[in-house]
Amino acid sequence: MGYIFDLRGVLSGQYFDWFLIGLAVTIALTCAAWCLAMTMGIILTLIRMIPFRPFEWFVALYVEYHRNVPLLVQIFVWYFGVPSLLPRPARQWINGHHGEFLLATIALGLAAAAYVAEDIRSGIRSIPKAQNEAARSIGFGYLGAMGYVVLPQAIRIAVPPLINQTLLLFKNTSLAMAIGVGELTYRTREVESYTFKTFEAFAVATAIYLAISFGIMACGAYAGRRLKLENA
Amino acid sequence: MIQFESVDKWYGAMQALAGVSGEVRRGEVKVLVGPSGCGKSTLIRTVTRLEAIQGGRVLVDGVDVGARGVNINRLRQRVGFVFQAYNLFPHLSAIGNITLGLTKLRKMGKAEARERALAELARVGLAAKAEEMPGKLSGGQRQRVAIARSLAMDPEVMLFDEPTSALDPEMVGEVLAAIKQLATNGMTMICVTHEMGFAREVADEVWFMERGAVVERGRPADLINSSAHPRLQRFLRTLA
Amino acid sequence: MLEILQNNWLLFLVGQYPHGPIGGLAMTLFMALTALALCFPFAICLALARLSPYRWLRLSATAIVHTVRGLPLIMFIFWTYFFSPLIIGRAVGGVETLIIALVVYEAAYLSEIIRAGIQGLPKGQFEAASALGLGYWTTTWKIVLPQALHNMLPSMVSQFVSTIKETSLGYVISAHEMTFAASQVNNVLLTQPFEVYAILALTYFVLCFALTSLARYIERRISAGRVAVATPAVAVAV
Ligand SMILES: Nc1ncnc2c1ncn2[C@@H]1O[C@H](COP(=O)(O)OP(=O)(O)OP(=O)(O)O)[C@@H](O)[C@H]1O
Ligand SMILES: [Mg+2]
Repeated sequence: MGYIFDLRGVLSGQYFDWFLIGLAVTIALTCAAWCLAMTMGIILTLIRMIPFRPFEWFVALYVEYHRNVPLLVQIFVWYFGVPSLLPRPARQWINGHHGEFLLATIALGLAAAAYVAEDIRSGIRSIPKAQNEAARSIGFGYLGAMGYVVLPQAIRIAVPPLINQTLLLFKNTSLAMAIGVGELTYRTREVESYTFKTFEAFAVATAIYLAISFGIMACGAYAGRRLKLENA
Repeated sequence: MIQFESVDKWYGAMQALAGVSGEVRRGEVKVLVGPSGCGKSTLIRTVTRLEAIQGGRVLVDGVDVGARGVNINRLRQRVGFVFQAYNLFPHLSAIGNITLGLTKLRKMGKAEARERALAELARVGLAAKAEEMPGKLSGGQRQRVAIARSLAMDPEVMLFDEPTSALDPEMVGEVLAAIKQLATNGMTMICVTHEMGFAREVADEVWFMERGAVVERGRPADLINSSAHPRLQRFLRTLA
Repeated sequence: MLEILQNNWLLFLVGQYPHGPIGGLAMTLFMALTALALCFPFAICLALARLSPYRWLRLSATAIVHTVRGLPLIMFIFWTYFFSPLIIGRAVGGVETLIIALVVYEAAYLSEIIRAGIQGLPKGQFEAASALGLGYWTTTWKIVLPQALHNMLPSMVSQFVSTIKETSLGYVISAHEMTFAASQVNNVLLTQPFEVYAILALTYFVLCFALTSLARYIERRISAGRVAVATPAVAVAV
């Protein structure tokens, strides 16, 4: 095709900066949404432990909504829908303060929280009842048995899937481009439309995504090996 | 020390214990035998309320275990329980399994707890394995750590639920030796086991259970060899 | 909300059809089904390659799967969007682009499910097959895959749900599916974005939740069947 692959065009001057900014926003979005997801995931787990039916239903509904509605649609509901329900001053504040970043964080974080809550729950469920009984037999109460015996083991089991959730969250930040958050995919398209170097622009973005994803995957594999416990 | 007063236990429509009565005095060793599913585990689990009961009473030191307001966690510290499947905490080392209760419940200092735990491990012959993770120990070693874990809480009574039946034959001896030593030192115990040699040596009394009830009881020598208890004899033959 | 639905339900269901291209829910389902069906052979090949005794085959399949898992779907969509016209030599529409991207993407994920399904089979199955003197391909086609696929049925339904959700990304390349239809409705109405997107979310929810529940039901049926088969074996052992 006579096409010459040349990265200089997209990696020089301002375009290089655009990639850097995009990467920074992607990482910031990942971290912010991750914190929200963990907090909310733990809160959901705690709510679910309260033996009161409506609370269980609420968490179940929360989880099912976030698992069965496309993430992009959830982002649209937050970005286009929710502000329209707020009073005018709140809306103006959002518009003036990078509302798209904030709302994307909320949408991504709350959706990931549903998966986090499920991972923590299956971690807890996978601890045999006998472990709890053994702790109770020594004289620990519900909280002691939970805190010193069940949770420490459950967390070890939940960490590898949670790292996988982190990978998915990182990849999903790319959807925020659809509401104009200037993250990596969004900047890549900008570089592409300014330079017309489509192949190079997307090659750079792909390399960045892969490098970070492989890093996260390696962490997951390492954690899986390190945290594995032999039954006793 | 422990009294069962016509204890009834139901799992749904299935009656697991039917009016069990009996007493274990301080310093006594009782051995529970009986066919699978007759309710042996259920009976000793009622002592520390691992199973709630629907009728009758279980008393420990005169206190009704099932009564409202009983501090069950305190009571469980006084009654050690050893499980068939060891149930060591796999995320803690052998010594960590033992110090957990000491530091968190007894509020001992770290150094003191370690010292105490090491003493208990030495008592069951495992001082050298203190830092090992449970997954790296043999079945017999795990069960001995589990016994040490219970003993560290200074229990007044020990309950054993088939402590050797998950073990390879060559490891049964080491665990039984540890339990025998306890008995010699005057520990009150109820032990579910099918090791009749062990029963003959240490038990003050053997209780034979069938379908949720204690149907025969007596000194091991009397029970095991007498022909007056045909059902027990038949059961013992199935063991051999 | 009801009013919006009353005036636009056709757009949600089939897009601008018959006055324009078919779209909406119909297109969403069509794309998901097509993508899943087309990726199936690739997924099986990838799974077999990952389990193959040949090192180079195993490694390259592993590399493909990990690369796909490491990239956002949207990156695939853009790669396909820009480069499939160059490769095919003519303009490629949004729907085709999305289907191609989804086939590649889903094949990697589906291959992992198939691989797990094969690895989950009892080893005795392979031994029994080789004891009968069956070759690799006969074993694979007649014994391994049928069982693995049967056990994987629930995961497959879940994968279909994922695919349905992923078709929503067609929006970014203006493929006419349901999310795109909703954005068109929103652009016309302008004043009721929450209602429009709530309808959209609810539609996806009903569809995907029904399928998820179906997956759970099948899962229960299959594991109940397994217990029934396993019980006599235990009885014999005792
Ligand atoms: N959680 C439970 N739910 C319902 N039934 C139970 C439960 N636990 C035990 N059972 C039933 O109660 C009866 C007594 O059980 P238990 O475990 O006390 O028997 P066991 O004498 O200890 O038998 P084994 O020698 O097999 O340990 C059995 O028939 C058993 O099936
Ligand atoms: Mg038992």
